[in-house]
Amino acid sequence: MSPEALSASDATRARVSAPGARTGAMLIALGVLWLALDVATGGLFLSPRNLVNLAVQASAVGVMATGMVLVIVARQIDLSIGSVLGFTGMVIAGLQVEDGLPGGPLPWPIALCAGIALACAIGAWHGAWVAYARLPAFVATLAGLLVFRGAAWLVSDGRTLAPLDATYTRIGGGLHGTIGATATWWLAAAISAGIAASRLSGWRRAPSSGGLARIALPAASLFGTVIAIAAIANSVPAPDGSPAGLPLPVLVLGAVALAVHGLATRTRFGRHVFAIGGNPRAAELAGIDVRGVTLRAFTLLGALAGVAAVLTTARLGAGTNSMGTLAELAVIAAAVLGGTSLAGGAGSVGGALLGALWMQSLENGMVLLDVTSALRQVAIGLVLLIAVAADARWRGAAP
Amino acid sequence: MLACAVPHRSAQLFLLALASLPGLTLRALAAAMLVSSALPAAAETEHPVVVGVSWSHFQEERWKIDEASLVAALGVRGARYLSADAQSSAEKQLADLENLVTRGADVLVVVAHDPDALRPALASARAAGIPVVAYDRLIESPDVFYLSFDNRRVGQIQAEQILAVRPGGRFAFIKGSPQDPNTEFVYAGQLDVLRPAIDAGRVQVVGDQYVDGWLPEVAQRVTEQILTRNGGRVDAFVCSNDGMAGGVAAALASGGRSGVPVSGQDGDQAALNRIALGRQTVSVWKDSRALGRAAAEVSVALAGGVRPEQIAGAQTFTTPGGVRVPALLLEPVAITRENLDRVIEAGWASRGAVCRGVAAGPEAPPACRPKP
Amino acid sequence: MSGAVLELVGLTKRFGGVTAVDGVSLTVPAGEVVALVGHNGAGKTTLVELLSGALRRDAGEIRVNGDSVALRSPREAQQAGIATLHQHLALADNLDAVANVFLGHERCTRIGLLDEDAMEREVLELLARLSPGFGAVREPVSRLSGGQRQLVAIARALRLDAKVLLMDEPTAALGPGERGRVTELVRRLTGDGLAILLVSHDLESALALAQRVAVMRRGRLVATRTSENLDAAALAALVVGGTD
Repeated sequence: MSPEALSASDATRARVSAPGARTGAMLIALGVLWLALDVATGGLFLSPRNLVNLAVQASAVGVMATGMVLVIVARQIDLSIGSVLGFTGMVIAGLQVEDGLPGGPLPWPIALCAGIALACAIGAWHGAWVAYARLPAFVATLAGLLVFRGAAWLVSDGRTLAPLDATYTRIGGGLHGTIGATATWWLAAAISAGIAASRLSGWRRAPSSGGLARIALPAASLFGTVIAIAAIANSVPAPDGSPAGLPLPVLVLGAVALAVHGLATRTRFGRHVFAIGGNPRAAELAGIDVRGVTLRAFTLLGALAGVAAVLTTARLGAGTNSMGTLAELAVIAAAVLGGTSLAGGAGSVGGALLGALWMQSLENGMVLLDVTSALRQVAIGLVLLIAVAADARWRGAAP
Repeated sequence: MLACAVPHRSAQLFLLALASLPGLTLRALAAAMLVSSALPAAAETEHPVVVGVSWSHFQEERWKIDEASLVAALGVRGARYLSADAQSSAEKQLADLENLVTRGADVLVVVAHDPDALRPALASARAAGIPVVAYDRLIESPDVFYLSFDNRRVGQIQAEQILAVRPGGRFAFIKGSPQDPNTEFVYAGQLDVLRPAIDAGRVQVVGDQYVDGWLPEVAQRVTEQILTRNGGRVDAFVCSNDGMAGGVAAALASGGRSGVPVSGQDGDQAALNRIALGRQTVSVWKDSRALGRAAAEVSVALAGGVRPEQIAGAQTFTTPGGVRVPALLLEPVAITRENLDRVIEAGWASRGAVCRGVAAGPEAPPACRPKP
Repeated sequence: MSGAVLELVGLTKRFGGVTAVDGVSLTVPAGEVVALVGHNGAGKTTLVELLSGALRRDAGEIRVNGDSVALRSPREAQQAGIATLHQHLALADNLDAVANVFLGHERCTRIGLLDEDAMEREVLELLARLSPGFGAVREPVSRLSGGQRQLVAIARALRLDAKVLLMDEPTAALGPGERGRVTELVRRLTGDGLAILLVSHDLESALALAQRVAVMRRGRLVATRTSENLDAAALAALVVGGTD
């Protein structure tokens, strides 16, 4: 073997700690948790209705976790997003109700766009402080956490803002917030086709990595997952008795995750985010606009906090000033569980999604088991600790 | 002791600096010295009573209303109003209380975030002869005047109103924050009314959860899980406040379940609207304006040297810990779809806000029907 | 050969009270290697940073092919035709060779997505020229040997269609076999018409690679010699104490 060829063990280690393997491990962990909870709850946990509820419950945190991955990969952090969710949610509600904000009531699409634009601007605000004024992200976004939680209260002097437009609240899921059976099956078909196409093109690019059989198994399991999700969504009845289909928040979550994943892995911006995370100096010397990329990462996360605000207010049917309290911790935990390293340079959007699902499953299952809130907090904290320690060990195993 | 006369500003500042040193005894000592330095001055010149109010937070909408009414009543009596917002932090509230004392409060009104954490500050107030009123949330100390609505009665009313529409079945309890003493009072009141039915088997408890911080989103998720656990068959939610009732109602609505009784308290506008729309059964209204006015009355009286027993309407209340405290307990009111007019006429909420989205016709609640 | 030339005229850089580079004037003609030697702290790395756009000069002029260039950022230096091989290689360890070679200059398809196929092909081609048998372009570069990482960094520098190549301590982290490869590579590059400025504290290496050697001490250029009749000992003497 020439000195330049990799040794066999190097190759194995490379495969083991690749992002794909990490996501695979998360899937197994999720499967184990789900099975355990299902047994403990006597089959309740894996019932279609509960799984659908679970996905909806995890959607706001999941949406934000995808964006948090990029911020953490770039060696930054954002502690403000829970408060930003609360503030923009209050603004969106305030623009919709009659005695809310001045200028209202506005039609819900306008309120929604205004809210997301506002959240985007807030993200850019934090990004500018971090990227251009060179403030440590921890400090700048901690300030944001305080500022925007206070601002959320100021929107209506603490008053809960309700009711919201009936069409708007469909975005939060619930009775009329699903896309119906037909649309669900079409969506499943489209996604399956997309998976098949991308796997085939990947295989054509690197045919030497084992025959068609090598990609057949993972592709088949992906198809299986997509079909299973569609089937579960269609097992839950709508008010008129027909299958309800995929809830809108889950659709939003899926679309966001796909988009951010594409951004992270297939665009120049995503490549630059990872480069900055791996070696900021090298990125700078290579001519990358580090400050601009950082700003954009924060702006994206801000926008996603706005999307999460829409999901939360629509689901609650109201704007309450305490929305999103402590959400940033759940979001960061989800990202880290999913394989994003707090040191920067490594992360996975799919993993973060699974991390969010995992944490929400734990909470969801424990309430099913009637575990008290204090015990739930203890359990989630401990589990997070163990999971991250295991991850550190895993990374340490491969250099 | 330089205690008695420390009029000089720099000396007071020095004591202020001392007061910020770690060590509770040192702080209490410094606070006591400062306060006792202020009191002789008060006796010499006729200065308005200074009432220091330490708020726990303003997360629920009612607190702003409490504050407005308290401030107005103090204004009428010519008393001065000092305030601090602890923002749901026990540590901050401790600092706030010390701060109010050094700013010259003659009497303290405290909405305790965590009553047990306040002992040091209360001890130093006691040492300085400053009376303390516990506003809405109990502080278990014989020297502290407890001013509240009868929270146990709140729970009783919630349970009574639910039983009135649903005499039996599978009930779930959605309780408030475990750190808040009011949570237990309300729950005790609910059990007072429901215990006989539970023991007789008419009511089956199928869910029972505290909700940290009284957060509506958490109440929503918990409700979804309770519904799942019971296959959707839950006949009533005995919910302790309106914020959480919003989450419960949202969860019920998204599950397509209507007509399930839900209780609440605080008289939030959103809750009143839900009652008009039939999505909530009762909101126990504590006219916090009355509480604010009572607080102004009681605090000014105590500052003026009136003894607790002499306050009109005062009684002795035995706390869960067995401590006997002087108390004034106001009576809460049940607001249901039949008497929504009561809150509208009292100027608490507008008819427009309460009746928003209510379909016209014979099904509408009396308050929302056109007047003849 | 084109007339590609790097000219430094009176280049100066100060950090507070310290003058790290003091009025350095130097020319590097096309197809020639000039080695820059000197003690640690002599100003060699600062000079490279000035030329690569990582630092801005305080005085003096830099000319590429006769045109004065400003070099306000690494990107401007690259645009001016100056490619830099940094001492610590400036590679992103978490990315693979393809990503590193194209770092900052990624190729995109018409719809704006990364054109991984085209980039991979080009990298394989480039690396094949530099070192046949190098196939591990999809592993994170942290897994590659020192020599392989060097190759990736060189490939990146070469991709930029540079006229001038700055090499900061190119052989420092390499074993003897790999050093030989770098020497071969440098010869080939000069054959293509590149002007190379090579910084090294390894005097043997410098003499082997370069046609001319320039000695820096305390920010100043103190001596320039052709390497033909110079041996390491004489050069060492210059480094320590000589002046022109």
